[in-house]
Amino acid sequence: MTFRQFALNNVLRNKRLYIAYFLSSMFTVMVFFTFAIFAFHPAFSEASFNQNALFGMAVAGGIIYVFSFFFVLYSMSSFLQSRKKEFGLLMMLGATNKQIRLMVFLENIIIGFIATVGGILIGLVFAKAILLIAENILIISESLNFYFPTLAIIVTFVSFIFLFFCISLFVSFILRTNKLTDLIKGDKQTKGEPKASIFLSIIAAILLIAGYATAIIVKGAAVIYAMIPVILVVTLGTYLLFTQLSVFIIRRLKSNKSIFWRKTNMLLFSDLSFRMKDNARTFFMVAIISTVAFSAIGALYGFQSYLTKGGKDMNLYTFTYLPWLDDSEEVIERDIRKINTVLQEENIDAQMGKMELNYFETSEKNNSVLIVRASDYNYFASLIKEKELDPEPNKAIVVEQSDAMLTQETKASEGLMESSIVLEDGETLQPSHVVSTPVLSESAAYYVINDKAYEKLETPVRTDWSVVWKAKEGQTDQVLEAGRKLNEQLQYKAYSVDYTLYEIEKAYGPILFIGLFIGIVFFVSAGSFLYFRLFTDLDEEKRKFLSIAKIGLTQLELKKVVNREIAILFFSPIVVALVHGAVALTALSHLFDYNLTVESTLVLGSFAVIQILYFIIVRYFYVKQVKRLVFR
Amino acid sequence: MLKLTKVSKVYEGKVAYRALTDIDLEVEKGEFVAIMGPSGSGKTTLLNIISTNDQPTTGNVEMEGKNPLNLKKNALAKFRRNQLGFIFQDFNLLHTLTVEENIVLPLTLDGTSVREMKNRADQIAESLGISSIMNKRTTEISGGQMQRAAIARAMIHEPKLLLADEPTGNLDSKSSQDVMNMLVSINQKEQTSLLMVTHDAQAASYSDRVIFIQDGKLHSEIHRGESRQAFFHKIIDMLSLMGGNGNDFSSVRP
Ligand SMILES: Nc1ncnc2c1ncn2[C@@H]1O[C@H](COP(=O)(O)OP(=O)(O)O)[C@@H](O)[C@H]1O
Ligand SMILES: [Mg+2]
Repeated sequence: MTFRQFALNNVLRNKRLYIAYFLSSMFTVMVFFTFAIFAFHPAFSEASFNQNALFGMAVAGGIIYVFSFFFVLYSMSSFLQSRKKEFGLLMMLGATNKQIRLMVFLENIIIGFIATVGGILIGLVFAKAILLIAENILIISESLNFYFPTLAIIVTFVSFIFLFFCISLFVSFILRTNKLTDLIKGDKQTKGEPKASIFLSIIAAILLIAGYATAIIVKGAAVIYAMIPVILVVTLGTYLLFTQLSVFIIRRLKSNKSIFWRKTNMLLFSDLSFRMKDNARTFFMVAIISTVAFSAIGALYGFQSYLTKGGKDMNLYTFTYLPWLDDSEEVIERDIRKINTVLQEENIDAQMGKMELNYFETSEKNNSVLIVRASDYNYFASLIKEKELDPEPNKAIVVEQSDAMLTQETKASEGLMESSIVLEDGETLQPSHVVSTPVLSESAAYYVINDKAYEKLETPVRTDWSVVWKAKEGQTDQVLEAGRKLNEQLQYKAYSVDYTLYEIEKAYGPILFIGLFIGIVFFVSAGSFLYFRLFTDLDEEKRKFLSIAKIGLTQLELKKVVNREIAILFFSPIVVALVHGAVALTALSHLFDYNLTVESTLVLGSFAVIQILYFIIVRYFYVKQVKRLVFR
Repeated sequence: MLKLTKVSKVYEGKVAYRALTDIDLEVEKGEFVAIMGPSGSGKTTLLNIISTNDQPTTGNVEMEGKNPLNLKKNALAKFRRNQLGFIFQDFNLLHTLTVEENIVLPLTLDGTSVREMKNRADQIAESLGISSIMNKRTTEISGGQMQRAAIARAMIHEPKLLLADEPTGNLDSKSSQDVMNMLVSINQKEQTSLLMVTHDAQAASYSDRVIFIQDGKLHSEIHRGESRQAFFHKIIDMLSLMGGNGNDFSSVRP
């Protein structure tokens, strides 16, 4: 048997050992390939497609590739870590350093090759699904048909064979096999009790609290200036949290006998401080990567909801027409006819509302104020099913915009409440109360008064027009088409919410899709990092439980200890990331002064649920493995 | 107190392997019995069956008139923890814990109060001469000290039966003698029954009775009687009588 055959057989015969490494490599290839299928779709290569989106996709592809590189590198080194003993044994049997390196190199090339091919094959199976998802998130006029992705296959294959080649070469080159005794002993035995400095632990807490506090307190544009320092502070704090504070807390728990000496706690905490310290870097990395994923997805989602919901709230009418200030009545009449023609062409069943907006001098000197006739107001209100107003003859009702986005304008209603309207006959109308409605898209507040009183107003200082149409529900396609036509014919004057939102979503779709894609890639690989760490320690764990089981450990006790241990290791970085993410999204909502609670809860909640599912699966296999050895 | 009748063990596998055949054995309360035999003769298998870590294929094990293998799995684990004490060749201590923590571990699982655990641990450490190393980690102490810590752990809940698998296998001769003296004194003071598997004729000579097994069958047994020295020579004689290769028995020391 040549050494090469030995290396090949070594992989094939130790399938179980290699499987985790192989699967995560394959997963990486699959992710990249799926993305490539999408990015190289013929629909995008047409000239009409948004060039910015294409550029975005190229960047995203690059990010995924670079990330794959580090992911595979990390997987490989933790895989090699778990095989130290094997190398030690080989060396003791007389294998040279060079031979071991050759073996590692060949192994990795074999695994890399199979993973590349496997990833592409599995990717092909999911190709149709991914295109369907993409089609739904992206708003693309033509559908993304299934095609045979020759280009994607070639690009993926070449990229990853190259990647695995480089990494195999690199890893086998830097493989440290010099200290035979260390290799054979395994690493745990000689390590001293992990230490944590009180000073650094306190610093960790201070950094985190300060970072969080700043992020939450800062409002408006200041968020942008605070962002970089806060990110730095929190990142450093997170690092110290895992390397120092966590170890410190566990040590404190351990030194308290009434806790540490209770039931299974001793078994639980004995290893925890070691594993925390050993895994601190991984946890840090996982926490940061997940935070990036959570924040990015949360931000994209929040931003989309900001754009669309904001638009929808402000414009409840299907179409709005606002003439230029100097448009004559003829121009206005012509425009309105044009709009009605377009609506007829598209067979849209819509009700029109037309209102002359008259601005008057009031006792509030500086500004002219809009005063609206109650019957006009009520007609508009009826179109969008708002409550009608019935002002008393000698009173005026102050109406302000009910939009949460325009917080500064609320002051305007206070001003109006303090002033009054003087009629021709000298009678004055006192404002009675304030209501918030979205009926008129007037940014300042205005008065609504009784029709009779309206007749007695003096001449307005300024006149404007507001014309709206409200289409019956369920004519989406016609409305969009009409919106498109109006946008061509009467740009900036006629406005269709649905069409504008459609345009926004269309432009925003690729960004959202790519963001989601990358975010999920980050999240899943963060999970894989954890999985790797857990299974690297599995042998040590088995040995530990085996020795206790000999003395007498019930299955229940074992399950309890293992469950808690995995839960702590599995969730601590994710919980940290979730808190980071929540704080980041809060800061973002302060920046835009837009409430993101629902969006944040949804995004962070889904990730938490996914993580819990992931935990349940991993725990199942882990407990099974330990049990199989311990309770034969 | 311990009674084995016609215990046999067959390891299933690609080729079934008969490791024990029709073993009959009785151990009285307070008795110290050593089991000897060449490597692969089935000593560990026998001990595992007695310790309920493994089940006999056929035959019966009784402890104080009851068969522990009738117990449910969880009850069995508790039974092991409360009625039996274990000492292993490789000490089987957790290296993430201190000596003291290792000693009280079985008690913590049962929810004993901290004060009680502390008292018992101090007492036992005193009698085994390991009080000074109670707060050290197991990586910082010698093999002899580790085995004493393991004995302390095995004794802390005052078991009825102490099982030891090659307790001196990893120790030098001075530490071996210390450990054996300690086991004998426990055996005499606490009236704890003691069953010890060993390669080492020296260690075996501390017992009341040595049982020899070969190829999974009982070969013979000899009783102590006179002095330990004479007993030792009888053991050596028996081992060479059993023929085979003297090298099977690692340490043949006077
Ligand atoms: N789990 C097992 N499966 C199969 N065969 C075993 C197993 N454990 C021990 N044996 C075999 O049973 C025989 C007795 O083993 P053991 O009791 O460990 O011997 P000793 O402790 O006397 O050296 C040996 O031949 C060994 O190969
Ligand atoms: Mg043995």
